[in-house]
Amino acid sequence: MMRRKRVLALTALLALPALVLAACGSSNKSSSATQVPKGGTLVVGAEQGFDCADWIATCAGSAWGLWSMQQFTVPRVFDFKKVNGTWTNVPNILLTKMPTVSTVNGKQTITYNINPAAKWSDGQPITSRDFAYTWQQIVNSQGIIDTTGYSNIAGINTSDPHTAVVTFSSPFASWSQLFGSGFGVLPSHILQGKNRDALMANGYTWSGGPWLAHWDKASGDVTLTPNPNWYGHKPNLDKVVFRVQNDTAAEFRNFKSGQLKAIYPQPEPDAVDQIKSGVSDTNAVYSAETGGLEALWTNNARFPLDSKVVRQAIGYSLDRDAIVNSLFGTLGVTKATQTLNPPIVSQFSDTTAFSGYEKNQKKVDTLMKGDGWTKNGSGYWEKGGKEADITLRTTSGDQRREDTQQIIQQQLKTAGFKITIANQKPDDLFGTSVPNGDFGMFVGSQQATSLDPGNCSNFCSSNIPTAANGYSGSNVTRTNISALDPLLQMVDTSFDNSIRAASNKQADQLEAANMVSLPLDSLPDIALWNKSVVGPIGDNPLLSMFWNLDQWGLKK
Amino acid sequence: MLTYISRRVLYSIPIILIASFLLFWFVRATFDPTAHLRTSHSAAHAIAQERERLGLNKPVAVQWFDWLKHAVQGDLGRSELKRENVSTMISDAFPNTLQLIGWAVLVSAIAAVVLGVYSAVHQYSKSDYALTGLAFIGISMPPFWFALIAIQFFAVDPQSWFHLDQPIFKTIGLHSAGMSGINPDYFSHLVLPVLTLAVQIVAEWSRFQRASMLDVMSSDYVRTARAKGVPRRKVIYRHALRNALIPLVTVMALDIGLLFGGIIVTEKIFSIPGMGSLFLDALSAGDAPVLVAWMVVAAVFIVAFNLIADLLYGVLDPRIRLS
Repeated sequence: MMRRKRVLALTALLALPALVLAACGSSNKSSSATQVPKGGTLVVGAEQGFDCADWIATCAGSAWGLWSMQQFTVPRVFDFKKVNGTWTNVPNILLTKMPTVSTVNGKQTITYNINPAAKWSDGQPITSRDFAYTWQQIVNSQGIIDTTGYSNIAGINTSDPHTAVVTFSSPFASWSQLFGSGFGVLPSHILQGKNRDALMANGYTWSGGPWLAHWDKASGDVTLTPNPNWYGHKPNLDKVVFRVQNDTAAEFRNFKSGQLKAIYPQPEPDAVDQIKSGVSDTNAVYSAETGGLEALWTNNARFPLDSKVVRQAIGYSLDRDAIVNSLFGTLGVTKATQTLNPPIVSQFSDTTAFSGYEKNQKKVDTLMKGDGWTKNGSGYWEKGGKEADITLRTTSGDQRREDTQQIIQQQLKTAGFKITIANQKPDDLFGTSVPNGDFGMFVGSQQATSLDPGNCSNFCSSNIPTAANGYSGSNVTRTNISALDPLLQMVDTSFDNSIRAASNKQADQLEAANMVSLPLDSLPDIALWNKSVVGPIGDNPLLSMFWNLDQWGLKK
Repeated sequence: MLTYISRRVLYSIPIILIASFLLFWFVRATFDPTAHLRTSHSAAHAIAQERERLGLNKPVAVQWFDWLKHAVQGDLGRSELKRENVSTMISDAFPNTLQLIGWAVLVSAIAAVVLGVYSAVHQYSKSDYALTGLAFIGISMPPFWFALIAIQFFAVDPQSWFHLDQPIFKTIGLHSAGMSGINPDYFSHLVLPVLTLAVQIVAEWSRFQRASMLDVMSSDYVRTARAKGVPRRKVIYRHALRNALIPLVTVMALDIGLLFGGIIVTEKIFSIPGMGSLFLDALSAGDAPVLVAWMVVAAVFIVAFNLIADLLYGVLDPRIRLS
């Protein structure tokens, strides 16, 4: 559930990753590369710091680590770009072409052709040995944040330094996640035989990307300077500084006063209020096409939500559009999401699957009465002497979620459901209560960190957390629908995207029919930058608005 | 005097020990140092290993004693979340907080004495009433709110009015990117956070100074001095002020310790990487080793300034020394 790779990364506010792309307000604002001036220091805001720079370790879960340092220094195999209106994996400059997928002796094999010009900041070439080193570190080290996919690798052939041939022991359809934006490829010639965590956790001086990064751990600020040995487009700016801003209201004032030239705030009520009050001399992109999905996750194994009818009645009790409009109407996001897949994988989703769930008290009454429920003296549904009493949780201190929760509580109370709010710290909620099933419903987000679909980890019955598996499964909603499993497994194992899409869409419909959980909204991205900053500036659902900083410039 | 100081220092040691045990216990009861591992790959095994390594299966008193043994040698533990020694984190953050507190106290002390004396000397005048009113506004001003107002009025608006590229008073950190040292850039960053910290202190101390000054002004020796024809200004500044400062100095020493806790909001809003920011980060992440160390350091700081207050009182008032 908390894995970086897959959906239902029910991230705490602090770990909310990629905001992104414009579908709502304005679209990306561009100026031609020839118009972008050279030189200058750009200071931008980072809403959070990060704990460590050992990107494959558990300490490195913060999105701002990826956005402000990792993506500029660690080479990756794919970029994420919009092609014909769809977010797509395209080969990064690290590769000469799209990796090839084949089956050799019945084994899945991926061949990565490495750009012969690719080199680290010390001039050493980036080779297949770096791929092998990265894989070995991920599968053999302690405290790795996620080994999904890497643990399927049987070996990497490094006989040709410019070709990494990866052979899998078992099929892994989401192979495009590997060596991607989260982990990338690490420099074996620097780290091999040494303590990787010790050499990276507090920052490092090497780079395989366009920038060298200096991380001041005490302040959290990251300073980027051009990598002199970068083999791609040379950055226009002399320096970029990410300054950590812990307070949203202060961040907006610092932006207004010109001390920060660009900010990428999370869609929290404070930020929305600030935008509502106006920010002058500014370009903006607000986008609902993101990797984030906020939903009302229901415990399908706990009374009264163990009844499909009750879950459906909950679906008909809520006016989700009203909730979304009250949260993000200012940003142009007014409609609820209708799938349990994040917007960036919409090509694999039935984006209307949950559209039948609109507020309809008559349907609620019919469903509940038909299932033997009656209303008691307090106006709550009751069956067999037990009230429809549901514990609703979320992360304490998260204003947006608490606002959402209040509206849900009120609407469900009107429909006859007793809602008890019991919020917790993120670690307690996602580390204990949710995996242990100690909740009725909770408001949380799912965060995609790749463009691959896949909800099996979240809804396949084999992934239900139990005492037997140490509560380690990610299917915390305890969804157990036999017809759903093969569909979601197909999404995870097929190499044919059309089959994956068809299966995933069928799965969406089954999830909606059983109301396994209820999607609320995509978390919109907010990108704001001063008009003195020029270049092809926009948003990227996985890598933030800063993904192409090398092409940005600053007007004199 | 040496005996007095020794006695006061000795009294402080058990207080710090008890405080450290209670704080250690509270943090252990509310924060799980292995919480960050709950979502990692093979969490159960990793947590079991970490609990064993950290000695979390031992009784709390034993854990505290182990922690204390290392703490007295300067080893305050390690933050696994940050992959860093806690003592390093504190030694990085502490100087920034001390700078803020130091400047805030200096500015506040000067302003409070001037305003307090002026109010006392001009008791029941219009300016006295005005200063009294302002003091109550200052005392009731929440720092987080005042900080945002200050940023708006002293940074954002002037920058807009005068079409400046950057505001005169900066509001991010203690230096601009790439700058360091004590220079104009440093002071342009210092003004608003110090103002934020000082506004409540000045209000409180100026009231205290006024009351103390009025008390001294009505004492016999001041009346005698005036009767002997000593000029009013000389009576105020040479005779009355010195004695009226004694209670204020002790209040200052006590308040400096309390400031340590009150600086959290200011550091957050102005993005200053001090003890306040360290505390907030640790609290939000549930970083137990940092929280324990932070609170113990804060307790030591407060106890130390209580001790200084006692010592100052002893130095300034001979009757305390004798007792």
